[in-house]
Amino acid sequence: MSVIKKIFGILWTLMGVGIIPLVIMQAMKEIAAKPSEENWIFWSIVIVVLMPIISFSLITFGIFALKGEYDVLA
Amino acid sequence: MAQNVTNVSQTEEVSSTRRVIAASSVGTLIEWYDFYIFGTLAKIISEQFFPKDNPTAALLATLATFAAGFVIRPFGALFFGRLGDLIGRKYTFLVTLVIMGGSTFAIGLVPGYKTIGFFAPAIVFVLRLLQGLALGGEYGGAATYVAEHSPAGKRGFWTSFIQTTATLGLFLALGVILIVRQTLTVPVFEDWGWRIPFLISAFLVGVSIFIRLKMSESPMFVKMKKEGKTSANPLAESFKKKDNLKMVLIALLGATAGQGVVWYTGQFYALSFLQNACNIEFEQSNTIILIALVLGTPFFIVFGALSDKIGRKYIMMAGMLIAVLAYRPIYTMMYNDADLKQKTEIVEQTNVSEPKVEVKGTDTVTTIVTKKTFTDGTTYKETKKETIPQDEAKKAELAAAGKLKPETKKSVVLPQNIFYKMIGYVFVQVLFVTMVYGPIAAFLVEIFPTRIRYTSMSLPYHIGNGVFGGLVPLISTRLVEATRPAPGLPPADPLAGLWYPILIASVSFVIGMLYISNKTNNMDVD
Repeated sequence: MSVIKKIFGILWTLMGVGIIPLVIMQAMKEIAAKPSEENWIFWSIVIVVLMPIISFSLITFGIFALKGEYDVLA
Repeated sequence: MAQNVTNVSQTEEVSSTRRVIAASSVGTLIEWYDFYIFGTLAKIISEQFFPKDNPTAALLATLATFAAGFVIRPFGALFFGRLGDLIGRKYTFLVTLVIMGGSTFAIGLVPGYKTIGFFAPAIVFVLRLLQGLALGGEYGGAATYVAEHSPAGKRGFWTSFIQTTATLGLFLALGVILIVRQTLTVPVFEDWGWRIPFLISAFLVGVSIFIRLKMSESPMFVKMKKEGKTSANPLAESFKKKDNLKMVLIALLGATAGQGVVWYTGQFYALSFLQNACNIEFEQSNTIILIALVLGTPFFIVFGALSDKIGRKYIMMAGMLIAVLAYRPIYTMMYNDADLKQKTEIVEQTNVSEPKVEVKGTDTVTTIVTKKTFTDGTTYKETKKETIPQDEAKKAELAAAGKLKPETKKSVVLPQNIFYKMIGYVFVQVLFVTMVYGPIAAFLVEIFPTRIRYTSMSLPYHIGNGVFGGLVPLISTRLVEATRPAPGLPPADPLAGLWYPILIASVSFVIGMLYISNKTNNMDVD
């Protein structure tokens, strides 16, 4: 079980890292296509609020999982 | 004799615990009420406080304000959580109540955009932030306070009463709005009547403050303080110490994020979907949600109590998994049951009114009302309002900008049998909510030590519930809009908004299943 937890730890870390360029590229694409106020508001909330929370928590959690910090269940 | 003394002592203990639960729950319920009347009246607030030129922008602006109310909650959790771990639970959640009540009352007094221009949305925005800040401090305090009074082995049951308050707060908000709307006429309600639910808050908060002032401090906090064991810096201890940080992360990713999206989908998104995708009339859609909430609320207590017996994890995870699998089928049935294209119109009963032309200021407003009836008993009303400036130059300018389109309001009233089916669809979603939300307060309380409990449990709760959950309306609306082939045309996939909660709940489910233990921590909370 602890091996699976560690393997998933890599997945969470990769997801946390991968989400950053994905979101930023999508935001740039959509704002460039339609630079409206609503587009700016929406993507600002996603980039400034949601993305950092998801990325930071997934990366940190993934690293902890990879190091075996969660081998003894919470 | 000794038996009698024991019985009296047990009765007193139960009575005292009930007082603690009642006093904590009433305050938290009122805070949720305050918070939700804003979201429930989002459309009217949008018209009152944001420029009307672009209705979508106005609605998004309101949703953004709504989101700001949620996004600020984690800061409230940090600020008041720290205070609660330093000076005590009781006074901290008294302060949050005063801030919440004050800002809600003030929103009811802010003049509209037409009167004070940009100051109106700016003031509302600041007041909304204050609401978010107060709510961020409230929930963790109430859950901690009740848990620290609860007997071991009954923590899930006792804290589940706090868990009912969020849903009951929404219920109260919807109920008050419906009563005020029915008492006044619709135009009066949309003009100034919507302020009444905000103003009523002052009375509710006053009562709650009176009750809370009579409460005593949490016994565990008192003991800890006497022994000089309180944390000198709860923030640093919560988030800089690896052992606590890893619990904060698992609470967020494995529980509260999934819980947050299931919560908002089952209650807020369901209402928004009924009103915007199915065009169901305001009162009928709110009644559907109200009845489903009433039927579902006791299950918070059922699942909270059950979690004391079989553990917290599997109940929460089952709720997430079933929600993930069932959302698309449930919403497909909701959509189909209200879809007019799948119904047979009784053409001879169709009525199109003569155009009603009025002059309003410098504009000519033409209104046409179309009424249709369908064989299954569904009725449909469409009000098309075209506003054309009398000034030719302004008219040409608006025409060039493509802003001369008529404003269309659609309203579907369902027959009894479909109305009951809709209640069933929403009730099932509320059941998912009760599964994920009923046991979560006990789960969060038990994974953190007393000295930093208020701070540590508040943050993951408010990020999960506030940010992940609170953004459901904004992100889901956006996902549906992305499937719209062109402005004015219906979206290709009206269910696209569900992908956000499905994705978040799926990730949370996998993390929860892998990394959270089902062992109920029945040790002393300390």
